[in-house]
Amino acid sequence: MKNNIRINELCFSTLSSNNPNSLETYLSQGGYSTWKKIVNDFTDKQEIIDLVVKSGLRGRGGAGFSTGKKWSFINLESDEIKYLVCNADESEPGTCKDRDILRYNPHAVIEGMLIASYAIGANVSYCYLRGEFMGEVYKNFKQALNEAYSNNFVGNNILGSEINIELHDLIGAGAYIVGEETAMLESIEGKKGFPRYKPPFPAIKGLFNSPTIINNVETLASIPKIISNGPIWFNSIGTKDSPGFKCFSVSGHVNKPGNYEVPLGTPFKDLLELAGGVKNNKKIKAVIPGGSSVPVLPGNIIMNINMDYESIANAGSLLGSGAVIIMDENTNMVKVLHRIARFYYSESCGQCTPCREGTGWMYKIIDKLLSGKGSLKDIETLESLPNMIASSTICAFGDAAAMPVESFIKYYKNEFLNYIKNED
Amino acid sequence: MKDKDLYNIPSEACTKINEWLLKFPDGEKKPAIIYALHLIQKENKYIKSKHVDALANLLNLKKIDVYEVASFYSMFELEKVGKHTISVCTNVSCMLKGSDEILAYLERKLKIKVGTSSDEYFLKDERECLAACCGAPMMQVDHRYYENLTKEKVDKIIRDIENEK
Repeated sequence: MKNNIRINELCFSTLSSNNPNSLETYLSQGGYSTWKKIVNDFTDKQEIIDLVVKSGLRGRGGAGFSTGKKWSFINLESDEIKYLVCNADESEPGTCKDRDILRYNPHAVIEGMLIASYAIGANVSYCYLRGEFMGEVYKNFKQALNEAYSNNFVGNNILGSEINIELHDLIGAGAYIVGEETAMLESIEGKKGFPRYKPPFPAIKGLFNSPTIINNVETLASIPKIISNGPIWFNSIGTKDSPGFKCFSVSGHVNKPGNYEVPLGTPFKDLLELAGGVKNNKKIKAVIPGGSSVPVLPGNIIMNINMDYESIANAGSLLGSGAVIIMDENTNMVKVLHRIARFYYSESCGQCTPCREGTGWMYKIIDKLLSGKGSLKDIETLESLPNMIASSTICAFGDAAAMPVESFIKYYKNEFLNYIKNED
Repeated sequence: MKDKDLYNIPSEACTKINEWLLKFPDGEKKPAIIYALHLIQKENKYIKSKHVDALANLLNLKKIDVYEVASFYSMFELEKVGKHTISVCTNVSCMLKGSDEILAYLERKLKIKVGTSSDEYFLKDERECLAACCGAPMMQVDHRYYENLTKEKVDKIIRDIENEK
């Protein structure tokens, strides 16, 4: 076991306590000190944004876009109403880090939301939790929010500074697509979760037609310590282009599935070791390194690469949300792709024809192959579909549905061919 | 949605809906739809057309505005369902850890086909990942998460529900 790996120091720092989600625990670890300082000093907004740019923090929801740059799209000179939205609609298959951050470190999310709201000049901020979180997750978050209000970290005249920021909890009702940021804005406005055309980007015209920034839970929970410890600290962790810590949800055929927050650039094999190695001493066959929307990588490739944005991209996949799904040597890849395709078929919102129809075709063809009724022609059709869907839709869902299909056939075509009985 | 009786949203729910609206800019009514439908479903187990009509009336919206939200989001049930909703996640991480066997076991145990209800239970094959992948296989029973399921664990969960009656 690699004892030298730094683990759970940022978003999961409160896990070292018996009472991780309490305000006392958060305060004892220096929580809200960044916010208090900002409120006390009236820190220059641009200074905060520049600091986040310099830190190199990249959006942890999956796209990996520079957080500071995203914030800088807001016109600070404009006196328009502005909004900050925390995207807590965690639903990328394999991802379960935000649920644990919200359950075990909700105050870091709240402090991050406050700092982000202040930096972009938003007086109202929403945390949109997926509907399925209305049990324990919502309860913990809501309790933390109430504590933050009663301590005047949030609300009117925050700590006597005359700064006003309202922070509201919202709850969804089940729809993967609402994790897409513009679909989330539609959902907050009380509509179906149909993604919007971009441009205009939300920073120009977002929620209720006002400039809006949407950030992921893990991104926002990382903010307080990045501001207090400084960008140099954050840069010293991870790699040059992928600085900092990242939460990886390691699931599937491992002995100790779990969320592990480690420096970016940690070798995959060390992460696998942290998760107790492959179950039953089996060999590793394949890994989906960033949620079901990214290309699968064979075990022999990923065993030699590091978990950072660039290394995974160079190997032909994406770091995505950090959902690492491990599959052992006995895994039936046709069945796995069938399950993935079924998911995208169920969850396509139906707004764009290539995605609505294409996800159905992909699922039905794989289903036909799996039932032993497929032909070589079906595999050809399946291979041609991703190209017809990708880049032809309003949002990235179509690409997300297409990428796994391409990669599964690329690496495991023989398994698909094995299902063909009639060569017609 | 065939029910044509009139329905009045209870005053307690109306108060909660009005409080919820305070989170949004003045005059915005639609943002309360999802929250209000959750309240209505909690009380009535599933959403009928009379509920949609009543909510549209309360918020001064078109019925279609409410209906399209009710029909878009998967947590809203528009047909009669059993008292307890059991959603077994069958997405990739859970599948790799045996969720299909758990689902089949529940079908046999509760004597209902997946996607259908008895008076007591509604058994759902949850295709959307429920974000508890490291505790796979998992399921939700009425919004509560149960992780690292085994047949024995499922037996206990069902026994506890039966005992609560």
